[in-house]
Amino acid sequence: MLQILVVCGAGLGSSFACQMSVESVLQEIGVHAAVDHSDISSAAGSRADIIISGKNFESQFRRYDLSMDLIFLDRLVDKSEIKEKLVPVLEAKGAL
Amino acid sequence: MAFIDFIINSILTQASITIALIAFAGLLLQRKAFGEVMSGSFKTMLGFLVLSAGSSIIVGSLVYFGDIFAEGFGMEGIVPSIEAINGQAMNDLGLANQIALTFLAIFIFNIILARFTKWKYIFLTGQAILWMATMTTVFGSAAGFSGISLILVGGLVGGFFAVAMPAIAQPIVRKITGSDDIALGHFCTIGYVFAAGVSKVVGKNSESTENIKFPKGLGFLSDTYLSVAFVMVPLYVITAFFAGAEFASELSGDVNYVVYAFLQAVQFVVGVYVLLSGVRLLLAEIVPAFRGIALKLVPDAKPALDCPVLFPYAPNAVTAGFVTTTIGTVIAMFVLPWFGLAMILPGMLTNFFAGGTAGIFMNAVGGKRGVLFGGIAHGFFITLLPALLVPHFNSLGFINTTATDVDTVAAGLFFEWLVHPIMNLFA
Repeated sequence: MLQILVVCGAGLGSSFACQMSVESVLQEIGVHAAVDHSDISSAAGSRADIIISGKNFESQFRRYDLSMDLIFLDRLVDKSEIKEKLVPVLEAKGAL
Repeated sequence: MAFIDFIINSILTQASITIALIAFAGLLLQRKAFGEVMSGSFKTMLGFLVLSAGSSIIVGSLVYFGDIFAEGFGMEGIVPSIEAINGQAMNDLGLANQIALTFLAIFIFNIILARFTKWKYIFLTGQAILWMATMTTVFGSAAGFSGISLILVGGLVGGFFAVAMPAIAQPIVRKITGSDDIALGHFCTIGYVFAAGVSKVVGKNSESTENIKFPKGLGFLSDTYLSVAFVMVPLYVITAFFAGAEFASELSGDVNYVVYAFLQAVQFVVGVYVLLSGVRLLLAEIVPAFRGIALKLVPDAKPALDCPVLFPYAPNAVTAGFVTTTIGTVIAMFVLPWFGLAMILPGMLTNFFAGGTAGIFMNAVGGKRGVLFGGIAHGFFITLLPALLVPHFNSLGFINTTATDVDTVAAGLFFEWLVHPIMNLFA
């Protein structure tokens, strides 16, 4: 199954809130995926297919050479922004 | 009777089992599949036990730090850490079960208050509720409450904070996000409103922080664990130097005393990491269950979310607020002992999250100048309140630590200054 990881600084609050928004977007577009949330220190070693995080973490992620798709959001819980940025990635992966 | 005794003494007094049963009931209520109910309940229990393991690591490191600090500087240095307070309350004071039940009670009172008052907020930041439950339980029991009354009083006070704090922040949150869809659910809100007030007074016509260019090198500080290490390592190592080779070597055994201090500082970060991983496991099932139930019962409710949700709206203000708040906490560290208060070391977790969020608030009303002066005042304020609680924590047997998160501190002071004296009148 497709693995999506949502990431913030401590991996507790805002990544979790974002995860709940991502899950409702996935439900709306009918895609099954395992969604989880974590802190940025652990994220680089994860094996997720897609990582979603805030714009403010973009420079942190760019230091690592990560093979998965990265999505950076301006507004972590805005479902229309999540949909707009997630759908093209899911289409490219053939999941949609 | 023996069976009922067994249930009460060996099952319901075990906090990890109680909280797993809460998750179990929540998942059943949502009619989840059997497998999901079982795995969700088990993960919740696992989370609670991982959290306890993390807190004993923190306490171990703090005990060492307290010893070398007392030797090196001849005074107590207090590390503000709500995680450590939670750990000691659960492990050493035996309040784990009451904290778990108060946590549930706060959720319930939150829904009731949101349903029947005009404060339509559902507080979804689970770890903040856990810290609030910790403080109401510690100070509620010190005030003389026990059993059901302790849980109900804690639930009512916590539930009040859960709707009132998002409500007082909302006018500025609306200004920051440009919408009224989300609210801020973070128990440092009194500090944000205070900081925004100062910023408004000093920051007339000041330019926004978002026009400043910051060095990219500071980016690593947004990684929580790195930023904690960034402060704890120098703090431990320098303190070990002051304590001197002779004293510090007694504690370090065969290892060189400076290396040992370095390792203990990292050990503190390990403890925070383990504890927060436990919190993550613990909340993964409970929060969505609560959200599902709450939004059914209070249809027009706004979700109150954790502070970093606001960070992308003004990233420069986050860094600026963090820096100016830290300056304020360093000033307070030196100034407060003159007034007979404890020396509170800067707590970097709070400085980052609360300072950063305060930065966004201050920038919204007072721009650059507001963030500079408001941030220093904010740092002073969030050090002063925990300092006032130190004597109370000491009398309860807490080791070298005090709470952070000013709203939970305010709840503690409310119990100590108002509820406790009233309870004494009837005792």
